[in-house]
Formats: sequence, structure tokens, C-alpha cells
Amino acid sequence: MGWLIDLIPLDYSDAVVVLGAMLLGVTAGAVGVFAVLRQRSLVGDALSHAALPGVCIAFIATGAKDATTLLAGAAVAGLVGALLMVGIERTGRIRPDAAIGVVLSSFFSLGIVLLTYIANTDNSNQAGLEKYLFGQAAGLLERDVVVMGVLALVALTLVTIGFRPLKTTLFDPDFAGAVGLPVRALEIAMTALLVIAVVIGLRMVGAILMVAMLVAPAVVARQFAGRLALVIPLAAAIGAAVGVSGTLLASRGEVPTGPVIVLVAVACVVVAVLVAPRRGVLWRARRLARSRRRTLAEGVLVDLETAIHAGPPLTAGELALASARPARALRRALRDLDRAGMIRRDGERLYLSEPGAAAAHAVLERRELWSAWLEHGSELDVPDAREPDPADLRASLGDEYADRLHALMRAADG
Amino acid sequence: MLNDDLTIILTAGLVATAAGLLGPFLVLRRVALMSDAVSHAVLPGIVLVYLLLGTRAPLPVIAGAAVFAIICVLAIEALRSTGLVKSDAAIALVFPALFALGVLGVTRYASGVHLDLDATIYGEIAFAPFQTVAIGGLEIARSIVLLGTVALGNLALVTLLWKEYKATTFDPQFSRTIGISPALLSRLLLIAVAITAVTAFESVGAILVVTMLIVPAAAAYLLTNRLWAMVVVTVAVGWVSAVGGHAAATAVDASIAGAMGLVAAICFAVALVASPRHGLLARAVQRRRRRRALQARLAGSH
Repeated sequence: MGWLIDLIPLDYSDAVVVLGAMLLGVTAGAVGVFAVLRQRSLVGDALSHAALPGVCIAFIATGAKDATTLLAGAAVAGLVGALLMVGIERTGRIRPDAAIGVVLSSFFSLGIVLLTYIANTDNSNQAGLEKYLFGQAAGLLERDVVVMGVLALVALTLVTIGFRPLKTTLFDPDFAGAVGLPVRALEIAMTALLVIAVVIGLRMVGAILMVAMLVAPAVVARQFAGRLALVIPLAAAIGAAVGVSGTLLASRGEVPTGPVIVLVAVACVVVAVLVAPRRGVLWRARRLARSRRRTLAEGVLVDLETAIHAGPPLTAGELALASARPARALRRALRDLDRAGMIRRDGERLYLSEPGAAAAHAVLERRELWSAWLEHGSELDVPDAREPDPADLRASLGDEYADRLHALMRAADG
Repeated sequence: MLNDDLTIILTAGLVATAAGLLGPFLVLRRVALMSDAVSHAVLPGIVLVYLLLGTRAPLPVIAGAAVFAIICVLAIEALRSTGLVKSDAAIALVFPALFALGVLGVTRYASGVHLDLDATIYGEIAFAPFQTVAIGGLEIARSIVLLGTVALGNLALVTLLWKEYKATTFDPQFSRTIGISPALLSRLLLIAVAITAVTAFESVGAILVVTMLIVPAAAAYLLTNRLWAMVVVTVAVGWVSAVGGHAAATAVDASIAGAMGLVAAICFAVALVASPRHGLLARAVQRRRRRRALQARLAGSH
């Protein structure tokens, strides 16, 4: 790992922490995807709380505060907790959230009891055991980073090798069982991967903040990609970026690393949820506003068309009275129509231009086709059982059916 | 005028009662982990009160914590309502973020003073008897007064809105059609959970509240099939944990809250294995009986 640390243009101790944060981000990002997509995002919460009794038992057993031993204890306790969660869910009565909650509180209670037991034994070495729950990135050693690197490599290799069976189990456990995959073992494997990530994260960000490290990169990646084969590497990359930028920010501001990493991660989620292409809140709001504006302009166009057939051309004021639209909306629609070259003005009077008239007729034709569909659609034997797109009925039904609808309409009218 | 042991048991019992009235609804609505989320999310509130007012007196702390508990609940709701983030992921994002803010506040501004994350902020039930208030000339532990009030409040909430909560828990669609808003009731429930949790942290510590909100209700769910029975059994399991945990803790000189949590966990384990209808044993017996019956039918058909 030495050469990697030398590659980072920072002083040694900062470089160690940055590398650790990156490893954590990559692992947590990649394996967190499974937790999020199985809707068990909070499994990480139970696993990190389960680490406390694991750390305590490892300490009682060995009497030494050696980081690797304590983390091994945490990992074993996490695995036991994971198996218990699966076992509790097997009754079918207890849902995942309650199973997670039961494991979390039982293990943590056990941890607290063990902590008091250790305190009573008067072992002078015991101070600071609970520090493992809050994480201390600053004290990270190169040796710790090597351990983290090995664990990260194991986790990523497992995800790569087991990608297909894991994917099948994730999205369709019944099918996976039917084709002979060991579903239960694979589900336990997914949780075991989370245990690896939690063990890496305990030292870096602490137990409680680890929960967000598992979930945030996966949620961000999911907003930008729709395929598991893309979401996992994307989440790993986002996790790494979040880890590194959080560490740099924290060292600049001289504040603890863990909380800053988590806040950066959650800020990324907020941004992604707002601006993600096609899915994001702002994106959807813009699309809605656009379609409202277009509908309004079309409505005004049709109003103008009907008014012209009824009598002399109108002024904007008269149109407002005739169409009973709010003056502001009307002004806006007229501006849009002007810009699109759909209307001509002769002094105050409004006329439809050539393209405007064509557009108005197209809108009217579309509306007519839609009412024909509502009235006579059941008489057509459309081969496609899906409901057609109301915005463009002709395109989704096809010309042949559209013409038949018109014919039906005319037959009913005449 | 109570002795210390009785005060501790009564305090824990009141936590069990207050939490036990709400826990079944959390478990049935599949939001059991909301209690854990709230228990961590209140940290910035407590830190902020300490930084602004320089006090750790219970009422301002409870108020500050309650504000952040409600922020937590509303933020989770907002994230969920975008439809882009599932509710479990929303919980997993919001509470660590708030907790991180709190940790930053502690280390940045309050590191000099004794604002220890575990003990001071989150309370310790063993100290419950030492804080007393005088009511009508009687010295009563402050925790009993506070938690008694909360328990009564929860009792009032659950009994007054019993029908409504039953309807929205089991059939939100139906309750919407008859004019009961599931969203409103759910928000009210979570605010009650937040207030209960915050009040109880201050006197008994976070983990005991989280345990009391989830574990007895989960055990009761394995043992009962009717809502009222589930609530009664939940409160009963809570009291058993309080009394048993206290006895165990004094016997081996361990953390009282931890021992109570462990007794609750044992109650759950017993229910999980031995529940007459939903337990693992009962299911194994059922499965074997069904297999035998099938084999007998197959043998008979030849």
C-alpha cells in the first residue's frame, strides 16, 4: 500500500485517511446497492449495533485492544446478527423492519451489559472500547488501511463472481429458487457483504454514520442508472468520491472526518433527487410546467379559431372575455403563439397565421379523435390491449384505426 | 418517598407502558425502526440547546430534542413522497445526517465541557432516583412524573383514536374512503413516538426506549391475533422486562438498561420459538403433520 499512499499528493497521515475513506466508499457503495434494492437499507444499522457485543467479547477473550482482533469480533457478531435476522423473518409473521429492530436492540443491550462487566473487572486497558462505535479516522494507521484494502478486495471479488446469481435472487427470489439457485445462502451472502463493509466503516466513520454510507451512494446511483450492472460500479465510484471529498473537507475545517463524509453523502442524495434526468423532482416539475404551457397555448389557439368563425376578429381583451381565461395566462399564451408565428396582429385585432390555422385544425382533429375513441373505442377490435396514449392517439393507434374511428363517428352523427 | 429500586422499576415500567401503547402500531405499520431513527436524530437538538442556553435541564432539552425529532419525521416523509427513495432508505439517510450534525456540534463547540454522547445526553436509568421534585409535599423522582405524564398522554391518544388507528393501520384505503386521513394519523403517531422517545432518553437512555418500542410489540405480535390483545401483551412484556431486568442487573451488577433489554430479547426469543400459532416449533409441527397427511393420502390412493 505504501506506493499508493506516496501517489496521493498529501502529507503521509492525511493520505492514509484519504485512502481509507476511498476504500470504505467503494465497498460500501457497491454492496449497499443490494441492501437498498432489497428494501432492507437499515440492515446496516443492526449490523453496526451488533458490533458492540462483538468488540466486547473479543476484548474479554483476548484481553488486548488490538484493532484487528476487535474488528474480527465485530464481524463475527455481525454475521450472527445477520443469521438471526434471516431466522426471525422465516416465521413470516415478523417483517424485516421489526426483525432488524429486535436484533439491533438485543445486541446493543448485550453490548452494554458486557461493557459494564468489563468495567467491573478493573482491566486498565478497557478505556475507549466504545470509541469503536463512533469511529476515529484521525488515528488510522497504514496497517489498518491494508486490512481494509484486503476486505474491500474480497467484497468486490465476491460481487463480481456472484453477479448473476445475486442479481436473480435480488429481483426474483421465486424464479431463482425455481432454477435451482441456493436462494437462502445467496440472501445470507448479500448480508455478509454488508458485514464486510460495516467492519471497514466502523474504524472510519463509526457505527451509526455507517448506515448512511451504505445507503447514500446506492440511492444516488439509482437515480442516474437503471441497470444493476451500471448501478453497482456507479455507486462504488460515488462512494469513493464522497469519501475522498469528505475527508479533504474535514481536514481543511479541522473537524471529525466521519460526520463530514456522511453529510457530503446525504447532500449528494438531495441533489440527485432534485436534478436526476427524467426522474428528479425539479426535472419533473419542469416537464409538468412545459406541458401545462403547451396545453394552454393550444387552448387559446382553438379559442381564436372558433372566434374567427363566429364573427369579426377579436382584440386580446375581447378574447379574454370570450374564453374566460385569466388575463395573465392569456397574455402568456399569446406571447408563446406570437413567438411560434401562429398569430398575426393587425393593430389590436388578432388573426391566425397560415401555420396557426393548421395547428388549430390539428388540435381540433386530435380532440375529435379522442372523443370518438371514448365513445366508439369499444367497437374497434384493437389488437394491442394497452390503453393508447391520449396525447397522440393517431400515432399510437395507427392511421387505419384512426380513420375507422372517424368513420364510426360520422356514421353515428349522420 | 419511594426507595431507589422501586423508583427504577417504576420508571422503566412507565417507559414500558408509554412505549408499549405505541409500539404495536409501529410494528404493524412496518415503521418499527422509526424509533431508532428518532433516538439518534435528536442529538443536534440537545447540542443546540446546550450551545444556546448553556443548560442541560430536562424541559429545554426535551423541547430542543422534540423539534429535531419532528424535523426527522418530516424530512423522511418528504424524501419518501418524491417516490424516488423508499421509506427504509429515507430513514437510513435522514437520521445519520442529523446525528452527524450533532456530532460535529459536540466536537466543534462543546468538546471542552462535559457533554459526553453516551451517558449525559442519553440518560442513565440508575440515576433516576437522584433527581426528585416535590409534588404536594411528596418527594417523587422527576422521571416518574415526566414519564407518567407521557404514558397518560399516549393512553389518551390511543384510546380516543382507537377506531381510527385500527382502520388506518390495517386498511388505509378503506379509512381514506370513510374520511379518516391515514397520513395525518401516521404523522400524529410518529410525533407521539418522538415525544415519548425524547422524554424517556433523558431519564432512561436511548437504547432502552428503542428496545421497549420494538421488542415487546414484536413478541406480542407473535402471540396474539387481535389488536387490543397485542397492546395488552406488549405492555405486559415491557413490565416483565423492567422487573426481570432490574433483578438480573442487581444480581450480577450489570447495566440496568442493558439487562432490561436482554430480558425483553429473551421474551421475544421464547415467543419466536414457542408461540402456539406463529412460533417456529408450532410451524415445524404443522409442517410435519401436513407432510404425514399428504403421505397417508398418497399411500391410500394406491
